[in-house]
Order: sequence, then C-alpha cells, then structure tokens
Amino acid sequence: MQRDKFFKEIENLNHPNEKLIKTHCSYCGMQCGMNLRVNTQTNKIIGVEPRYDWPVTVGKMCPKGVTAYQQTNHKDRLLKPLIRDDASLKGTAEGFREASWDEAYDLIAKKFKELQTEYGKDSLSVFSGVSMTNEKCYLTGKFARVALGTRYIDYNGRFCMSSAAGGFLRSFGVDRGSTLPWTDIHETDCLFIAGSNTAECHPTSMFRIWNVQERGGYIIVVDPRETPIARRADLHLDLQPGTDLALANGIVNQLIEMGYIDEEFINKHTNGFEETKELVKDFTPEYTSMLTGVAPEKIIRAAEIYGKAPNAVVMFARGVEQQHKGVDNVSAYTNMALVTGKIGRPKAGVATFTGQGNGQGGREHGQKSDLLPGYRKITNPKHVEEVCSVWGITPEEMPQPGVSAYEMIELMEQKTIRGLYLLCSNPAVSAPNLNFVRKAFKALDFMVCSDFYLSESAEFADVILPAVTWSEDEGTVTNIEGRIIKINKAQEPVGESKPDWQIQVELAERLGRGKYFSHLKTARDVADEFRLATKGGYADYYGATWDKIDKQDGVFWPCKDEKDEGTPHMFLDKKFYHPDGKAKICALPYRPPAEEPCEKYPLRLTTGRVVYHYLSGNQTRRIPFLHDMCPEPYVEIHPETASTYNMEHEERVRLFTRRGEAVYKVKITEAIRKDTVFVPYHFGHEDSINLLTIAALDPISRMPEFKACAAQLEKVELKKVQ
Amino acid sequence: MKKRLYLELENCIGCRSCLAACTQCGGHEERNRNYVYDVNPLVNRQTMPLMCLHCENPACARSCPAQAIQIHETGAVLSALVEKCIGCQNCTIACPYGIPKFDHEQNLMYKCDLCIDRTKDGIPPMCASVCPSNTLQWLTDEEIENKKKQFNLDNGKWVTSMPYLEGETNVKVNLPGILQGITKLF
Ligand code: SF4
Ligand code: SF4
Ligand code: SF4
Repeated sequence: MQRDKFFKEIENLNHPNEKLIKTHCSYCGMQCGMNLRVNTQTNKIIGVEPRYDWPVTVGKMCPKGVTAYQQTNHKDRLLKPLIRDDASLKGTAEGFREASWDEAYDLIAKKFKELQTEYGKDSLSVFSGVSMTNEKCYLTGKFARVALGTRYIDYNGRFCMSSAAGGFLRSFGVDRGSTLPWTDIHETDCLFIAGSNTAECHPTSMFRIWNVQERGGYIIVVDPRETPIARRADLHLDLQPGTDLALANGIVNQLIEMGYIDEEFINKHTNGFEETKELVKDFTPEYTSMLTGVAPEKIIRAAEIYGKAPNAVVMFARGVEQQHKGVDNVSAYTNMALVTGKIGRPKAGVATFTGQGNGQGGREHGQKSDLLPGYRKITNPKHVEEVCSVWGITPEEMPQPGVSAYEMIELMEQKTIRGLYLLCSNPAVSAPNLNFVRKAFKALDFMVCSDFYLSESAEFADVILPAVTWSEDEGTVTNIEGRIIKINKAQEPVGESKPDWQIQVELAERLGRGKYFSHLKTARDVADEFRLATKGGYADYYGATWDKIDKQDGVFWPCKDEKDEGTPHMFLDKKFYHPDGKAKICALPYRPPAEEPCEKYPLRLTTGRVVYHYLSGNQTRRIPFLHDMCPEPYVEIHPETASTYNMEHEERVRLFTRRGEAVYKVKITEAIRKDTVFVPYHFGHEDSINLLTIAALDPISRMPEFKACAAQLEKVELKKVQ
Repeated sequence: MKKRLYLELENCIGCRSCLAACTQCGGHEERNRNYVYDVNPLVNRQTMPLMCLHCENPACARSCPAQAIQIHETGAVLSALVEKCIGCQNCTIACPYGIPKFDHEQNLMYKCDLCIDRTKDGIPPMCASVCPSNTLQWLTDEEIENKKKQFNLDNGKWVTSMPYLEGETNVKVNLPGILQGITKLF
C-alpha cells in the first residue's frame, strides 16, 4: 500500500437506499478509483461518489470519470442483437432489425463456416481493443486462435501503445509502461514530459506533477502546442511535430558533452553507449534546432536541468509514439535515463502515459498478432508449447503470427480477409486514412460487431451483438503503473446484453469448439485460466489473485506466486530483461516525418485529444455534460497563420491532405506553432480528422503516423455562422 | 476539525471536472452552480474557477428582500429557499463576483451551497473532491496558514488574495503566482 501525503482518511457520503460499489473509471490508463452509487430498490447505477481511499488518485476524477456512470443506463444502449439483411446499406445506421441471440449466433456460425470452407481458416479476422478487462483480452486471443483457428487477430493498441511497447522491449527487454509507481511522481526533482497533453489526457496525474514545482523541482515539456501543462512548465520545448528523435539525440549529446553521464552505470548495466555517443555527436544544439525548430538555448537548458536533477523521470505519450518512428522516439528518450543512470531506483525512471484503460494489460496477453498470454511470443516454440498445454491444443494447431491492425484492414480491401469480428473498438473513426478503411470494411463478405452503442464501425456490420459496459461485469485491468486492479460489477446487464467473454464462449460452442471454452462459466473462471496461462511468462500474473488485489490496493506485475507481493519498482537490482541483464542504449539515426510539408501542403497537421472525450468518442459524445463542453471538432490555428489565409475565429474552413478533407470551425490560439494546425480526433463520419491522416507505419510497432502529415487550408464559401 | 474550501488558481487546468462533479452532489438537481473561465482564450490555455467564496457578510443575502438566502452554521451561504425566493434577482447583481445563477422557468435563484449535505459532516464538497490539479482543496485553517507562509513573499511583490476581495470570506484564495516565491532545488 503506497499511502502518501495526498492520502486522507475521509468517509463517504451514504445516501439512504443506496449502496456504493468500489471500482475504477471505464476510460483512460489512470484508472481512477471511484464508487458507483447503486439504488438498492431498483438495483440500478444512479451516480458516482469519489473513492478517497484509492492511493493513486485519492478521489480525484476528470469530467469523463465523473460522468462515466451515465453510460450504463443510457438510452442509446443496444438491448438485443441486431441483424441487417440488406448489405447495400453497409456504412449507414439503417436496415437493422432486432433478433434473438440464437438467430444471431446461428447466422454468425453459418457465415464463418462458409467463409472458412471456401477461403481457408485465415479468411476470418478478429479486431479487438484494450478498453476491457484482462480476462476479456485474454479470451479474445484464445477465441481467435482456438475457436476460429485464424492467424489474423490484432487490436487497437496499434493506434495507441504499440510504439511504447516496442521501444521498451528494445531498451529494457521488457515492456512495463512505467518503471515506478505513480506515488513516486511528485517526489522526483525533474519531470521531462514529451508528447503528452497530460492535463487533458491524464488529468489526475496533475496534482502530483504540480507538486514537483511546488517543491522546487522542474517540469520540462516537449510539445508543438502550449498545452495547459506546457504553459506552466519551467521549460517548453516547442518542437515541430514529428521531430522528437532529433531532439532526444540532441539532448543526449548535450548530457554527454556536459558530463552528466554516469559512467559506472553505463559500463556495468548497459550496451551500446559508444555507438550512440558517436551517432549523437552530429546533433549539436544548432543542428538539432534546425531539425526541430526548438531554440538551441532551450535544448542546452533542458539537458542541464535533467542532468543536474538528483532524481528525474522521463515521461512520454502518444505525441512521440504515434509516428512512423515511434519506437525509435521511445528508445531515444529512454536513452536519457540510461546514459545518466537515472533509473532502477525510487523516484527515477521512465514512464509512458498509457492511453486506454487496459492499454498495458491488454497488450500483454495475446490480442497482438504475434503474442500469447504472459507476453509470450507465438514464434517461440517453447512459449507456444506452454500456452498449448493450458488451452488443450497441440502446437501444430496454433496459428502462425498475423499482421498488425492497419495491415489487416489492407488485407480486407484485398479480399484476403473476408470476415471480421470486431469488438471493443471503433476503427471507422480511430484508424488513419479513413476513406480507405471505410472502403475496406464495405468490401467484407461478413462482419460482426460487438459494442454497447451503435458505433460508426458497427454501421458496417451485418450483425451487431449487444455487449455490456464495464459496470455490468467484473475482472482485472492493469493501470498506467503496471498495477493490476479490480473492476467490480455494480448492476445486472441492461436488456439482453452480455459480456464479451460470455459471447465468445457461446459462439465457440456454436462453432463446435465448446470443449475448449464451455468450462468458463463466470468471469472468475476466465480469470483463473488466464492467470495460469501467464505463469512463467515475463508478464506473470499468476500470483495476482482477486483477493490479493483487494487486500493490497492492486498488485504490480510480475507477481509469480501466492507469497509474491508484486513489483512496484522495476530494475531495483539494476537487472534488465535482456539475456545479459543489461539495458540497451540505442544509436538511432534521424528520419523526418513520412510526409513533409511542400508547396501544395505547407502546413503540418497534428491530432490529439480533448479532456472531455475518450478515443473515438463513441462513449463520451453521448454523455450530455461532455457533449455540451465539446460538441464538435475544430482546427487550432495560430493567429498569424490564420491572417495569411484571411481566416477568422469560428469561421468554417476546409482542411485537406493528399488523402481526404473535412470542414472545421477555426479556433484561433497563440498556443500553437505557426507552421502547425491541430484537430481533435474524437468525431465520426465527415467530421473525422482521420480522413486526412497518413497510414505511414512504424517498421517495428506498425503504429501509424497520426501526429504529423502535410496539410492545406482553404476558405469555404459558406461565411461565418452568424 | 473545521475545514474550508481553498483555491489555488495557478493550478487550474480547465478540465471543468468541478462543474461536472457539482451536478453529482445529490442536492443540486444536476445543475452546476459555479464557473470556470478561459482567461484569455485566443492567447493561451489559462483557466480559473470562479466559485462562491461564502462571504462572512454576504452581499447576496444582504440584498435579498425576502430573506431567502440563509447562512448555515458552518458559514456556508445557502441557495435560495424555494418558498421564500421572489425571483427579484437582486442577489445576482449584488454579488461582487456574479455567482448566483437564475432559473427563469422556476423563477428561482440557485447557487453553490458548498455541498452542505457533505460539508456539514466534514466530507469535502464534490468539486474539491475531484479537482485533478488541486486547484480546489478542502483544508484545515492550519494547512491554509502554512500555504500562506509558503507562498507569501516578503518583498511585497506577492500577496495572497485579501486586498482584492470584498471583505472576509470563508473560502480562501491564492491568486496565480504561487511559484514566484519558490526556491529551486538546484
Ligand atoms: S478518464 Fe482517466 S483521468 Fe479521467 S477519471 Fe477516468 S481514469 Fe481518471
Ligand atoms: S476541476 Fe480543478 S482544474 Fe478542473 S477546471 Fe475545476 S478548478 Fe480547474
Ligand atoms: S461570493 Fe457572492 S454568492 Fe457567494 S456568498 Fe459572497 S456574495 Fe453571496
């Protein structure tokens, strides 16, 4: 239990005829603790009460969390399975009729079997997400491999966390998003935060972050925009989107030049220093400034502050990861910690701000095209054998590795993949290059979508299955820190909706694969099999029982057995997870963004989030308070740029790239670079900025470059709405 | 121990969670009662909450011809009593900070009551419970005194809010600038 100075003993307010169910928020990786208020007469969720005794967030929530409970009994909930017989209506919300579960299952089983008979096992695919419990993520991987027998499974973490995973695996040999618990953050002396709009995307980190400054420590922020956190930072490095790698190399060079490196640590615990030193030599402050647009003095000053700080944490998020060199960016910023030895002890380390609620856990247990539970590799015969023994199949039956999320969509367009089972994701809004993606979904012979609302992606489905929200099921989630926590059930499922694990068990039975699934009758059954399947993998959850999670306020993985209390701090013994126990300092040559501005497309377009919405907005756009606060997207433009285009605040303008276009309201602000425009991505149909973004993929993580492409603005005839 | 609402305006990140949370206090009919302002929206992202300060001698209550605005024993200046409020809107004009809101349909003033159902039993109000940045805090007088010491500069450059406010308030405020007096660690 990490109870710190922010923790206060406070009793909750108990209203008459109500009970409080302890749980966590449904949305981001912070996984703020909350109590759901349940009316004991109707047994319905009716509100929220802070969870003051959750040690990470001590009752705090952002507006998404405060209103999250409104999802459960929302009027838009899907109450019954829906079938659409007229395929010509794909891409619209029209033509669906209500059906029984039996009819829906029968149709799915028939279509899936037909497709696999005619086009082979791999003609089916599973596209999933990580805003759901570990148990569901685990079972989805098993469902694809054992029930469907297809190699094609991947998930929306490819648009979220996969670059962080790739970078950490290369640098440390292990991918745990944070090397230290969040309760350390306010005690460090310097936070170096790159590509994270923390105040909007992980707001409940902010009371700890501000406290660093109150103690006399420093905050350095790297962002093309002056976000709320950049505004108050001691140093704001306002780089051009897509140039992080150059900046990181430049800072590492300065750390070496100014003598802030820890030679003993480098010699004993790392490889690759000499090579890296050689490579970063070219990244003088002037050269780095030329590439990034950041003033040379600021680069020097950043290295000086970070170098001098007794303890420091390097943090980053999608801003650096959603690039076609996202993995290199992650390793390059991680180099800062490795050359200075500011890692492997409390109050110092490296962390990524996990985007989705279970972005960490969901990527470890087999939803990724090449992974199996416990972070095992599907290409490693020993790993395959271990998992097969839990699943009861032979290694020969285990499908080959598949391809990444966006590449699966390409295979749909090419008709290699003909069937899709989509759950917990809304790629018709969140994938890049949406004109192509929407075309690919239309090309499918058969598509099933499981969701609790009719999302933009569900509009492409033949069958929609009503899933439950997070509050109608139980299971574990692994938060931003790598802490496994428990989500509790507060209400019975609305209408005929079912949890996805149950849907998969029942569907497996229809597909004649019941013997591998029928024993899973409750979420706890899935949890027990899941823990066993992770045993011995490096993301070992075996010892993280629900009881222990409850008793200890969560359990940090790895947690190998009953006695193991888990691992809040990584690498305290300075042992990294590469075979020789050393971390890797990576020499990474700079590459510019895949698409650089040119005469026709002179602006840099970058995308991101606002505090009021989560991911594709399928959930938050339906919540009245959140909708009122941010009802539509906009394009942020610097006033000088706006004046060269003769554009006014709130005027509607056309923004376009080589791939697509959309019309947005102008939001004038000096808090952005003059060469950059920004649009939030939470909106659907013709409002989606992803109609414009580029699908340039990182070679390792296969992450698309959402954060930088070339764009142009144009006035539209329609004058400002009077 | 008596606790007060304390505002540290420098911390605000504009998330408006305080407003969302305000609607969730059982007694608030799901209407939020305070404000968060964009200080200079075309220029930067600075925001600040504008909350009822629960004045010790509240202009709103003084201006009310119907005595609809009661003061709770904790010092909280309550929302207008439905049976007494005559809808004259004097209070909305009298308050130096423009806090009371008016419901034209019900012809009734409504304002922050400091989540009186909670604060009467020492439970923090919803806004200060959730505020992710610690702009809004629920502190003892001793803790507030320490804050004052921590943030007061004796060079006369930095002052807490007192000179700018109209009279004593139950809610204490630190205006932006708290970091000016901090000595850096290195
Ligand atoms: S969205 Fe994230 S920060 Fe906001 S309440 Fe939920 S978990 Fe906390
Ligand atoms: S909750 Fe706190 S940080 Fe958010 S707007 Fe309100 S005062 Fe500001
Ligand atoms: S701030 Fe305004 S509304 Fe609040 S007590 Fe004072 S006068 Fe009344």
